[in-house]
Amino acid sequence: MRNTMEVIELKKLHKTYEGIVPVQAVKGVDLLFGKGEFTAIVGPSGCGKTTLLNMIGGLDAPTEGQVLIEDQDISALSPAELVDFRLWNIGFVFQSYNLIPVLTVKENIAFIMELQGRNHKEINDRVAYLLDVLGMKDKMNIRPRYLSGGQQQRVAVARALASSPKFVLADEPTANLDSQSTENLLELMETMNRTEDITFLFSTHDQRVMDKAHRIVTLEDGKVVRDGKQEKVE
Amino acid sequence: MIAHIAWRNVWRNKLRSLVVISAIALGLWGGIFSYAFMQGMGEQQVYSGIHTETGHIQLNEPKFLQNYDLQRHIEQSERVEEQIRQLPGVKGVCDRIELTAMTSTAYASRGIMLNGIDPQIYNGVSDLHEYLTEGNFFEVDNGGVNPIVIGQALAEKLHTDLSSRLVVTLQDYRGEISYASFKLVGIYRLHNTEFNEQMAFVRKQDLQKILRLPKGYVSTVSVLLDDTKQTKVIQGQIAKLFPNLQVQSWDELSPMLRMMSGTMTQMSLIFVFIILLALAFGIINTMLMAVMDRTREIGMLLSVGMNQKKIFTMIVLETLFLSLTGALAGLLMSIATVNYLGTSGVNLTAIAEGINALGYSERVYPQLDPGFAPQFAVMVIMIALLSSLFPAMRAIHLKPAEAVRGE
Repeated sequence: MRNTMEVIELKKLHKTYEGIVPVQAVKGVDLLFGKGEFTAIVGPSGCGKTTLLNMIGGLDAPTEGQVLIEDQDISALSPAELVDFRLWNIGFVFQSYNLIPVLTVKENIAFIMELQGRNHKEINDRVAYLLDVLGMKDKMNIRPRYLSGGQQQRVAVARALASSPKFVLADEPTANLDSQSTENLLELMETMNRTEDITFLFSTHDQRVMDKAHRIVTLEDGKVVRDGKQEKVE
Repeated sequence: MIAHIAWRNVWRNKLRSLVVISAIALGLWGGIFSYAFMQGMGEQQVYSGIHTETGHIQLNEPKFLQNYDLQRHIEQSERVEEQIRQLPGVKGVCDRIELTAMTSTAYASRGIMLNGIDPQIYNGVSDLHEYLTEGNFFEVDNGGVNPIVIGQALAEKLHTDLSSRLVVTLQDYRGEISYASFKLVGIYRLHNTEFNEQMAFVRKQDLQKILRLPKGYVSTVSVLLDDTKQTKVIQGQIAKLFPNLQVQSWDELSPMLRMMSGTMTQMSLIFVFIILLALAFGIINTMLMAVMDRTREIGMLLSVGMNQKKIFTMIVLETLFLSLTGALAGLLMSIATVNYLGTSGVNLTAIAEGINALGYSERVYPQLDPGFAPQFAVMVIMIALLSSLFPAMRAIHLKPAEAVRGE
């Protein structure tokens, strides 16, 4: 674990989903994530992994507590500011890839940078580099539906990384992938973590992901029950 | 980029998009064609009314039309006609003698409006001679017998046919009852059943003798113009020239004609409104489906930092592209149809009796104001854009965390 400085700080984070029976998904979580960390958040289904990632990503607001990103409390941002914050700071990788089906591989990777309004040369250079890293130059002009699940998820990771975000949040990124695809994806993420010092936070059930993680945070019933260096989780 | 994605989104579900595009195109075609059809019907009716019945403008002694009193005639009619002929925009001027009369055959009697005309001059103002189904319009010499031309409907009511004799009872200039015998030389058939049943035409010179009218007697002067749109302007000029005469335009002389023409426009606008309303609901439904089908994708877009404004714009643009494609197709179809049928006409012979009774022709030539089709296309696009607001609002109010999971 390379912990040079804190990027993300969670302070007494609570999340309760209101309903006929209120559900406390996260109960008083305090965590620090440093720059360049490659962390897996693990735990059984319903333990609050996705909720925690959503709050870190500003997709969900905590009921109590604070999410500080480089000392900025994102819970205090307006919805519009949050959208802008996500655009410039966070890369998202989703379980079911969520590529834009009407865009080509190249356009999907360039999408976030286009939203940021970066110039074409910068976009083209970055996309070309990522396609090279992905080994998918020959597929850059085809649409996602012609790719395998593993290839689609690699494109999704490339999209998340294209804008060089401060950190990447990946919710069960390998859940739908076979062993080889998982191996390739992890290799890609490790490479980008190593070469670009991008912080990665995953939620996962996948032992292969845990094996690669530098740090594993275990949640149970909305609470952190274990937080440490890479270890086998039975 | 947003426009690029929106355009591609239009074609991601080709069948659905084609259904909406077809609906817009057919709606537009239906609206424009029905408008053109009714417009053509109304215009033909007005044209026919003007060119066979009233002319554009008519002059009478102010109280003449109250009871067609022969004593109330136009003084110095030749000077009046000559002055009107000098006005720019006037195509033709003719005079006639109008009076009510009774015509009889051995089988029946009918009240008629008898018109004494100079056929050659009258033909310069009226197209009635073109509607002759039998006989002639005073072109053939009848060897001293007074000729008469009547409508087919009147001929049927009187159980008479060509070359038969009609006895006309009328009141002469002195107020005395006179009888005259006429030979039926021509039968016309206009689209206006009422006109067919009532209007009979004889030569002015014959009527002058029968009625013992003073020389130069004229009860009515009709004016035909080059352009119907100039009616009110020239009517004003004539009224100024002859303040002692009653000067009426075609729509004042025949309020029914004006009303029917106006009704046509109103009916077509109601029809257009119904089409637009149906289109609006169709578009709302389709775009709502498109948004709901893409909940996960929109959730992703919101998550990765695409702001609400851009999502909103994307949905609206998708609708706009759909509508523009449909509107363009509909516009081309409408123009092609109206152009083709505007020349060949729509044959309504099967229901001729009914529509003739209303004063319409059984062959309708649809016609379109040049500005209507683009206006209607713009209306369709505006409706489409309005219809996109609800789906677009729904899209931007999705919660990214839930939407991305497809909830």
